[in-house]
Amino acid sequence: MDQIFDSLIQFWQFTGFANCTWQHLVMIAIGVVFITLGIVKEWEPMLLVPIGFGIVIGNIPIFPGLNIGVYEDGSVLNTLYQGVRQGWYPPLIFLGIGAMTDFSALISQPRLMLIGAAAQMGIFGAYLLALVMGFAPNEAGAIGIIGGTDGPTAIFLSSKLAPDLMGAIAVCAYSYMALVPVIQKPIMLLLTTKKERLIEMPRPREVSKKEKIIFPVIGFICTAFIVPSGLPLLGMLFFGNLLKESGVTRRLANTAGGALIDVVTMLIGLTVGASTQADKFLTGNSLKIFGLGLLSFIIATTCGVLFVKIWNLFLKPGRKINPLIGNAGVSAVPDSARVSEVVGRGCNPANHLLMHAMAPNVAGVIGSAVAAGILLGFLG
Amino acid sequence: MKRLALILLLSASAATLRGQNLSDLIISEVLPCNDSSVVDAYGARSPWIELLNTSQGAVNFAGCYLSDDPENLRKSMIPKGDAATLLGAGQLVLLYCTGDRSQGTLYLDFVPSPGSEVYLVSSDGRTIIDSIKIPSDLPAGTSIAKFATDIKETQFDDVRPSKPTPGTFNGRHEQRSKSQMMSENDPHGFTLSLIAVSVVFSALIILFLIYNLSGNIFTGKIRLRRSRRQPDPETAAAIALALSMEGNDDAVAAAIAAALHLHYAESVHDTESGIITIQPRNASAWCDNSLNFRKTPYKK
Repeated sequence: MDQIFDSLIQFWQFTGFANCTWQHLVMIAIGVVFITLGIVKEWEPMLLVPIGFGIVIGNIPIFPGLNIGVYEDGSVLNTLYQGVRQGWYPPLIFLGIGAMTDFSALISQPRLMLIGAAAQMGIFGAYLLALVMGFAPNEAGAIGIIGGTDGPTAIFLSSKLAPDLMGAIAVCAYSYMALVPVIQKPIMLLLTTKKERLIEMPRPREVSKKEKIIFPVIGFICTAFIVPSGLPLLGMLFFGNLLKESGVTRRLANTAGGALIDVVTMLIGLTVGASTQADKFLTGNSLKIFGLGLLSFIIATTCGVLFVKIWNLFLKPGRKINPLIGNAGVSAVPDSARVSEVVGRGCNPANHLLMHAMAPNVAGVIGSAVAAGILLGFLG
Repeated sequence: MKRLALILLLSASAATLRGQNLSDLIISEVLPCNDSSVVDAYGARSPWIELLNTSQGAVNFAGCYLSDDPENLRKSMIPKGDAATLLGAGQLVLLYCTGDRSQGTLYLDFVPSPGSEVYLVSSDGRTIIDSIKIPSDLPAGTSIAKFATDIKETQFDDVRPSKPTPGTFNGRHEQRSKSQMMSENDPHGFTLSLIAVSVVFSALIILFLIYNLSGNIFTGKIRLRRSRRQPDPETAAAIALALSMEGNDDAVAAAIAAALHLHYAESVHDTESGIITIQPRNASAWCDNSLNFRKTPYKK
């Protein structure tokens, strides 16, 4: 009888109930909130559902030594987590993004590329603020990249610069990517007048196939020579685009932009979520990172919109740019471009800004990869 | 063509071999008086010499010599036939200076003393690959080491006394991280931010200029070759005929001249081949009775 009782006690000690702390419950609640937002509100469900479930997985209280946790060497989760830890999931996602993205809008209106550069100010604004808040330069760089609103880039850079903060940075970046419409719209409305919102832009020209093929080759060579440290991201992005546009590697492009990116998105979401274990995530630094992430996002959007407004002062009436596409300089593709379209149509239902906004949006992807390369070069 | 390819291949191979030869070996650290550092396989604290392969490929230093006498560079030879003499990329090896080479492959026949110079000599016994001068006032237990001076850690020009670090790469462990250096040089982050913003803008401005130019070329706003074609004799005769048929109507003549100018100077019109080809077309499946699956209706 005693033996049975001892066995039951031993079994109890193995259960999650015996090892549970309030931090675990808080994190599980956060995971459930993510899943709910993804399913009910449909806010970036492809990201929030895997991350949310990953948070739940990572915060099930486990008995140490079972070799199943994400931070335990050799465990299944740890093996899957190596893609995040070593930084090879993000380039694969960039490959898929390249294979899915149509750069026509950018090629037809290359001047809008500069908006993508202006919106990267969010990264450096957050970097400066993080330094003021006492973070080391490498940590500040990793936090700053949240301002690029690019989850894979944030994971890639933080895995190199500040692995300890990677969980918080990744969750923060993806959370704010999901909240693009909520955060950007009020800033856009606040910074623009009704007259500016009504600016109609000329329809972009048709782009030939040759131009589309030349774009990734030249784009890669130029950017990689300037920032070689951004090679993994830039190389994969432009390679993916070449697969798409060449027309002779359709199967490869379909795989990169379909099955491959889906698999990697699942794994990256799940493992990033699982890496947010309560003891590592529920810290004062995480709260600071969330605050800085929000600020960087606000700075990026503000700089993008203000840059267009200032630029318009020097443009002739027929060439003016609607400042509502300034927010799209962040690299949340295509969400921020969609916000430009929605807000623009709210003012004038006949004014479609989506095609125009896609240009700074994809330029933002290139810009954030370049910015990540610079930070890695200086701080890595 | 094949010969050219072969020459290129051989040149590339030669360059590769050059990149991974004995000249990439350096004496990275010497401890002449070992009072607290590592012990050799016999448990003795012998003086040691550390060699580093700075190349990106493996280097075998069997057959090379080590010496502390410039008059006798062949003082102690590294025996051949032992895998321990093969150094991988960036790998280090410790050679113990016990004065008795018979103790093993990695044991030397001499004991370096402060004030002497240690030489690593090629297998020809004459070519000095690398050397290091041991200061005469080097305290016991302190080594003389070479530290990396470039960012890629391939140049080791900083020679100074150091706390012994046997088997450890000199440079990384003592070098401050880039983040630490940035923290000291740019504590507020303004310099980095300014540079980074400039680089991001420069990169995208360069892309803008390139795509603007290529866009102008593709849309015909800029023409790479401006051809000024002259009308051929047949065209000239046709123009003359057309003008004569129109009589003395200046307006018609001006219109023809303007059209010709646009055609030859601006190339606004397509160039037609002037050949009309009519090829017989085979019946396609939809109208071919033999392939038509719908039979003609008939009345019974």
